[in-house]
Amino acid sequence: MNPLDILLQYWPRLLDGTVMTLKLTLLGAMIAALAAPGLALVRTQASPWAQAPLRLYISFMRGTPLLAQLFLVFYGSGQFRPMLQDLGLWWLFRDPFNCALLAFALNSTAYQTEILRGGIMGAPHGEIEAARAIGMSQFQTLRRVTFPHAYRIAWPALGNEVILLMKASALASVITLFDLLGRTRQIFSRSFDFSVYLWAAVIYLCLTAAFVFVWRQAELRLSKQFTGRVLPVTPAPNPKETTE
Amino acid sequence: MLELFSYSDTGWGDEILRGLAITVQLAVVTLPVGVLLGFLAAFASMSRLRILRAIGFGYTTLMRGLPEILTLFVVYNGVGLLWNRLAMWWNPDAPLTEFSPFIAGVVALGLVFGAFAGEVLRGAFQSLNTGQMEAGKAIGMTRSQIFRRIELPQIWRFALPGLGNLWINLLKDTALVSVIALNDLMRMTKVAVGVTKQPFTFYLLACLIYWTMCVLSEFVLARMERRANRGIRSA
Amino acid sequence: MTQPDVILRAEDIHKSFGNLEVLKGISLEARKHDVISILGSSGSGKSTFLRCLNFLEIPTSGRVTVHGEEVLVKNGRPQNVRHIEHIRASLGMVFQQFNLWSHRTVLENVMEGPVHVKRESKAEARDRAETLLRGVGLEERMQMYPSQLSGGQQQRVAIARALAMEPDAILFDEPTSALDPELVGEVLKVMQSLAAEGTTMIVVTHEMGFAREVSSEVVFLHQGRIAEQGPPDTMFTNPQTDEFRRFIAKVM
Repeated sequence: MNPLDILLQYWPRLLDGTVMTLKLTLLGAMIAALAAPGLALVRTQASPWAQAPLRLYISFMRGTPLLAQLFLVFYGSGQFRPMLQDLGLWWLFRDPFNCALLAFALNSTAYQTEILRGGIMGAPHGEIEAARAIGMSQFQTLRRVTFPHAYRIAWPALGNEVILLMKASALASVITLFDLLGRTRQIFSRSFDFSVYLWAAVIYLCLTAAFVFVWRQAELRLSKQFTGRVLPVTPAPNPKETTE
Repeated sequence: MLELFSYSDTGWGDEILRGLAITVQLAVVTLPVGVLLGFLAAFASMSRLRILRAIGFGYTTLMRGLPEILTLFVVYNGVGLLWNRLAMWWNPDAPLTEFSPFIAGVVALGLVFGAFAGEVLRGAFQSLNTGQMEAGKAIGMTRSQIFRRIELPQIWRFALPGLGNLWINLLKDTALVSVIALNDLMRMTKVAVGVTKQPFTFYLLACLIYWTMCVLSEFVLARMERRANRGIRSA
Repeated sequence: MTQPDVILRAEDIHKSFGNLEVLKGISLEARKHDVISILGSSGSGKSTFLRCLNFLEIPTSGRVTVHGEEVLVKNGRPQNVRHIEHIRASLGMVFQQFNLWSHRTVLENVMEGPVHVKRESKAEARDRAETLLRGVGLEERMQMYPSQLSGGQQQRVAIARALAMEPDAILFDEPTSALDPELVGEVLKVMQSLAAEGTTMIVVTHEMGFAREVSSEVVFLHQGRIAEQGPPDTMFTNPQTDEFRRFIAKVM
């Protein structure tokens, strides 16, 4: 069968799946991006004792398969159904979309926190000291000096993390969500036409390429402020970095 | 509660341990396949031949850009289909063979590992000190002598942290094969959940097992890195 | 008890790092228009002392009073923490490594403090920043980023940045030590004209010429204590202690 036929026949479903993939990825990444700066500060400034729970959380998220985390949230919550119903939280866990989003956000938070921690630690100490010396409060120093540097340093790695999250979002299909891979599997199970997998691959690659382009543009804009400085080269997308 | 995990007919300890054994086997068998593919990819992308460079670049970019689970499905369904078609073409009476999920897992995870390892190894080769190569040339070593006696022993040091990360990712990615019906740790956990109706308990147990493996790996890798770096002052 | 023209007073400053006592009780007073040079060999504690004055280093004990704001430190704990930021805002500081904010232009570096710490209007801050940059000879570079400037130019921007806060006094922490020899002169010249205009300055330096020609008072630190102190003329021509005599012989 002509591979184009399957595309012509099923493109609305593939489009629908692509939208779902994007929704999961971007929402998950954004929720994590909101949580990460505060947690990264805890990682850099709190006493070792105070950050122990956070370190445990990060180690757990990075040391277990995302699939297992997803099952833990989606199926595992069922074990506490009466309790969750009492708390009025059951609606959240009943819906596979919410569960996937929660698992992805929790997972990405751990990685983004560590990436941003690296950025904060790389912010030039002398410039922070100059901010303190001129009388800025701790908060002002963070907002006006430390974080601008931290985000510049962390930017490429954060982009990688979003790409990794997009790839990981394909797991959502395992808990009955119709993301891009979910739609693909559905189409395959009806048509037994293998080429639909190849189309899915093409779409994933296009999404990645488009994202890399957008991120790189943002990076150029961001680094305009640092003209003349040697900018860190975008490292090859690494799978989730596990060592510290 | 402990009864659930006991090593007996009523408990799930033995089933889960058997699943764990499959998981470990899968990871251990995939590792050399992936490292070999990684070396091939690294050589290809550093080759003087443009066609080889293109192949190396295409392979690493493709595999790194696709979701691992998609690669797994493509290999499992696609290679199975292809295999049967070839078999039919060769001998129309051949029975349809089911493609082994274990082999599909090794191939898919190996392909993914190889693509990332290719980048790690290429980086390691490029961070070698060129002065040392020149010193090798200067005393009259051949290209292959330089490779074997100077480059290879040193890239280990540069590549180890990256490869260590990939190993831990591999351990975690093995969980994906449960989706194509290989009876690994994840799938045995699912079976246990189906019977006991205690999903949280068992998935948490599975998580703890994976976590232990990863933490142990990190520990061993840290020691290996220290060993590999003897004689090198830390910067 | 404070005389009206005393701008900065440090009393009995002690500082220890672990078991190592770096400052063993140093007191210093700076009056309006004073230019105090702090000399000493490396390890004498001179930079640490300067950094204690604006609490970049928290002293182990002692008291610092600037502009009527007082911070008393006991057992490494400042008693009135809120005054620290006020003291910092009224003391400018110029660092050895310049420490300009690399993500802001020259002009923005100079405007940053007035706008965000003193809450001045942007227009007002901009006017003053431009005047100051013209004063240090950098009117052409206002839209550039620090990394596009030479070390000497960066240090002059850093001086303008300190001046923009209209401080009661400026602390200089070895301002010329990180510069190539041929760039030292341009920075010293700016500092010299500041002194001539009556700016109160406390300068940790290795430039004996500056200490001798420009400063009104020289303080020589040795092993965490003030070994000798006085007007430069008498000190350099007639050193009282062996330590200072040896120091002069070594550096001059």
